[in-house]
Amino acid sequence: MSFRWDIIFEYAPFLLKGTLLTIGLSVSSILIGTFLGLLIGLGKIMKNKVLAFPFYGYVTVFRGTPLLVQIFLIHFGIVPFFTGETNAVTAGVIALSLNAAAYIAEIFRAGIQSIDKGQMEGARSLGMTHAQTMIHIVLPQAFKRMIPPLGNEFIVLLKDSSLLCVIAAPELMYWGKAMGSQYFKVWEPYLACAFIYLFLTLILSFVLNRLERRLKTE
Amino acid sequence: MKKVSFLVFAMVASLLLVMTGCGKDKEVSTTGKEEESNGKTLRIVTDANYAPFEYLEGDKIVGFDVDFINAVAKEAGYEVKLESVGWDPIFVEIEGKRADVAISAITVNDERKQSYDFSVPYFLSTNKILVPEDSDIKSGDELKGNVIAVQTGTTGQEAVEKLLGKNHKDIKKFENNNLAIQELLKGGASAVVADNTVVEEYVKNNPDQKLKVVEDSKSFNEEFYGLMFPKGSELKSEFDKAVNAIYENGKYAEIYKEWFGTDPDIETLKAQQ
Repeated sequence: MSFRWDIIFEYAPFLLKGTLLTIGLSVSSILIGTFLGLLIGLGKIMKNKVLAFPFYGYVTVFRGTPLLVQIFLIHFGIVPFFTGETNAVTAGVIALSLNAAAYIAEIFRAGIQSIDKGQMEGARSLGMTHAQTMIHIVLPQAFKRMIPPLGNEFIVLLKDSSLLCVIAAPELMYWGKAMGSQYFKVWEPYLACAFIYLFLTLILSFVLNRLERRLKTE
Repeated sequence: MKKVSFLVFAMVASLLLVMTGCGKDKEVSTTGKEEESNGKTLRIVTDANYAPFEYLEGDKIVGFDVDFINAVAKEAGYEVKLESVGWDPIFVEIEGKRADVAISAITVNDERKQSYDFSVPYFLSTNKILVPEDSDIKSGDELKGNVIAVQTGTTGQEAVEKLLGKNHKDIKKFENNNLAIQELLKGGASAVVADNTVVEEYVKNNPDQKLKVVEDSKSFNEEFYGLMFPKGSELKSEFDKAVNAIYENGKYAEIYKEWFGTDPDIETLKAQQ
């Protein structure tokens, strides 16, 4: 079987366009998901069980159902319900951020709870409020510990964005599939996609490594 | 020690579960008597997501194509083991000769003929446009400037690409027609282009969705479905004969009528041979 480079070159502009969208989807979902995840994580560790309950519910639902199911529900259900029409990119960002937020919330919760109680007590005894302590003392220390699991989550999110091809969001995998079904080929489109995804995740882990080293205190 | 044996037990149990999943018979065998067939079972692949040609009823594959292939295989003296593998994988399976025949409302065209062998045509079809009842689209040309949803890799996609341009940004390609129609219903596309039987069947079965079918024989040519074989397959001539035989003995018309309620145009099909 001959490997047809020509069809990869033919689809190169589309793969490039798809790659850019994949990056856009992933970066915006990482940012939104991290922000939401922080809020939900903080919500979950609230002392008041009644107030914390919705946050528990959120994590249970979004971590307990498949992302693919969430994508279909959001694309064909929730987005058209509010706007009257579907939009694959919007639905994609919503689905990826909401899903990632559930996992990130757990990372934040674990990170915050891993900081010794003495830190909180010490800061409070110096006259800082609970919120001040959280922002200036606990979170900076917790964040350092959260980088490796967060990095995992970001990489998973980038790869999961390929699921959006099912709702015809023209990201990388969508064009890979288009190429595959035009020429009935497997190796060319999917190997090309695999290399690009690998390249993207390599960059991402490089950035995260740098960040981790930057924040090292020893 | 206890922990280890539990782990081993869990692994074995999960493996068994996976294996039952594989063994699940998604296959339909012909009820043909033993003496009629020479016993050889053919692995036939399809994409059971294309009502009324092939779709799942529970875990059974049913449809016009299923009845047709069973009749043809019986005529040719083979047993059928039908398996739903998905649309794109059909072509991979046939190219790799891992399957003997594919039947999945596959349109015969020159591009596909380069890589595969086809039987004589067994079905006449055209692409038609599915739009909301109040749509202004009356022909293929008017699709320009609108967002069109199609099933990826189908002749519907080809036809739309011919009108709008290859990989045009207004074409949304979905895994199957159900998703494409869903996109239309939810306002993400102005029209769906697909085989007439599929869109007509959809309109007939879902009158509450307020959709209509637009015909345009100028933009969309007649197409013929064929059984697909690996290049150079010896089965082709046997199946060609069998197809003609069930044209003659009325079996084809019987199956056709059962699924579509009308008489088939066998003359047009035969003229293509």
